[in-house]
Amino acid sequence: MNALVIDFALVWESLPAMLNGLWTTMLVTIIVLVLGLIFCIPLTLARMSSNRVFALPAAFFVMFFRGAPLLILLYLVYYGFGQIEALRDGPLWFIFGSAFACAVIGLTLNHLAFMVDVVRGSLEAVPAGLSEASNSLGIAPRDTFRYIQLPLAMRYGIKAYQNEVVMLTKGTAVISVITIIDLTAVANEVFERTYDPFTPMLTVAAFYWVLVNVMRLGFRRLESHLNRHHAAEDARRNEKPVKTIGSLLFHPSSWLKAKRSMLVARKEHAL
Amino acid sequence: MTGVAPPQNEPSLSSSIAVSMKGVEKWYGKFRALNGIDLEVRRGEKIVVCGPSGSGKSTLIRCINRLEPHDEGSIIVNGIELDGSPTTTQDVRIEVGMVFQQFNLFPHLTIMENCTLAPRLARGATVEAAERLARRFLDRVQIGDQAHKYPSQLSGGQQQRVAIARALCMEPRIMLFDEPTSSLDPEMIKEVLQVMEDLTDDGLTMICVTHEMGFARRVANRCIFMDKGEIVEAGPADSFFEAPRSERLKTFLSQVLH
Repeated sequence: MNALVIDFALVWESLPAMLNGLWTTMLVTIIVLVLGLIFCIPLTLARMSSNRVFALPAAFFVMFFRGAPLLILLYLVYYGFGQIEALRDGPLWFIFGSAFACAVIGLTLNHLAFMVDVVRGSLEAVPAGLSEASNSLGIAPRDTFRYIQLPLAMRYGIKAYQNEVVMLTKGTAVISVITIIDLTAVANEVFERTYDPFTPMLTVAAFYWVLVNVMRLGFRRLESHLNRHHAAEDARRNEKPVKTIGSLLFHPSSWLKAKRSMLVARKEHAL
Repeated sequence: MTGVAPPQNEPSLSSSIAVSMKGVEKWYGKFRALNGIDLEVRRGEKIVVCGPSGSGKSTLIRCINRLEPHDEGSIIVNGIELDGSPTTTQDVRIEVGMVFQQFNLFPHLTIMENCTLAPRLARGATVEAAERLARRFLDRVQIGDQAHKYPSQLSGGQQQRVAIARALCMEPRIMLFDEPTSSLDPEMIKEVLQVMEDLTDDGLTMICVTHEMGFARRVANRCIFMDKGEIVEAGPADSFFEAPRSERLKTFLSQVLH
């Protein structure tokens, strides 16, 4: 073993397999996110409905799948459903027989259960007065939801959603237990072949890190686009005497201050 | 009652009554917010509603466009009885504009978009037609040059004037004002009241919850004093302020006029 923890030759050699694994991880993540976005709105509306026929099943869904451990859920979907003969011989076996589809189902159920409360909290944060104003203008409830409540809820909920997306992305690592060769599975394979734990694990960790941070940058752009109605206000609020780069670099306390004022601005955005 | 002649050009088919409330009651759980309200508002009449906080003034005008459903009695607005069905509620809301204490402008839309949204969605107006209309009313409240800005970039008084223009863009026959100046700084109250006074020439029916007694004297055909969910006293502005009949109104006026 050389002095370095990471064997770059091994990294280079396993790179194609890792990129394949990364692709699988990204594919699963994107499919689950899209399914989550499609289903979370109707499910949240059912959860918030005053009609118990809708509200109770939705509440039960959230309670069950938020509490169910993801790993166990995946085992149940992939290995459990295979034990049911009717399902095995039925028309839907092409779904339940596929490890990839089972992974997507398990992750989506889990992701949705968390999304419902993210969306619900954001919708409830929209001031009632704005819906009232919209209603009083003769805008139909459906349009009020589409043009007022939903766009504002997106702005309030985007931080919580970003957390949920990051957790999901890293959480997809568990699908390696049901035979899917994702990024984590590739690392594990390389480790088992070479008995070098550091090189493959640190490499995939770097891949995950980059993936998550690319997402973060995307969210930042999206957020500043959504919050453009605050832009002019912030410019006014943040007017400060000009500082030279030197004074900024040599006084670490100014870093803290800058960071703090950014945090404050963020918080005000959220309101 | 008032000595004001009803506005001209009244369609002969429709009655001269804009809002008619009979025996209206409203409960919040066990609390009775409105207690047997009987009120008739004629077309073009300007009415000021005042009273101590919690007296039911806001609830009263919020019942008129069914932001609050009433529990007993009947409310007829422009000949349409509010029976709770979505279509009648919608019909009434298109005819009735409302201005709120907290402005309630849509923060994610520009001033122009705030004003054009309802005509486009509820009346099916084209973007150009809606913008022409919005431009007209924004100019009227003297805010036309700010149309591209977002609400957070305007002062409170400017925001409230936009809220008035936004309601006017639906060209309502009746305007409801729910304490429109109560959350404004003193120097901004005047500009909003000025805009409201300008509207009185239009033959609009106005029902205004306010504590601006000077405004009430200048504009109101009739003042209504509410307490504990009841209309205690109603009358022309002059006699209302100079010679209140009920003890409760006397007490209230002595607390408000200082």
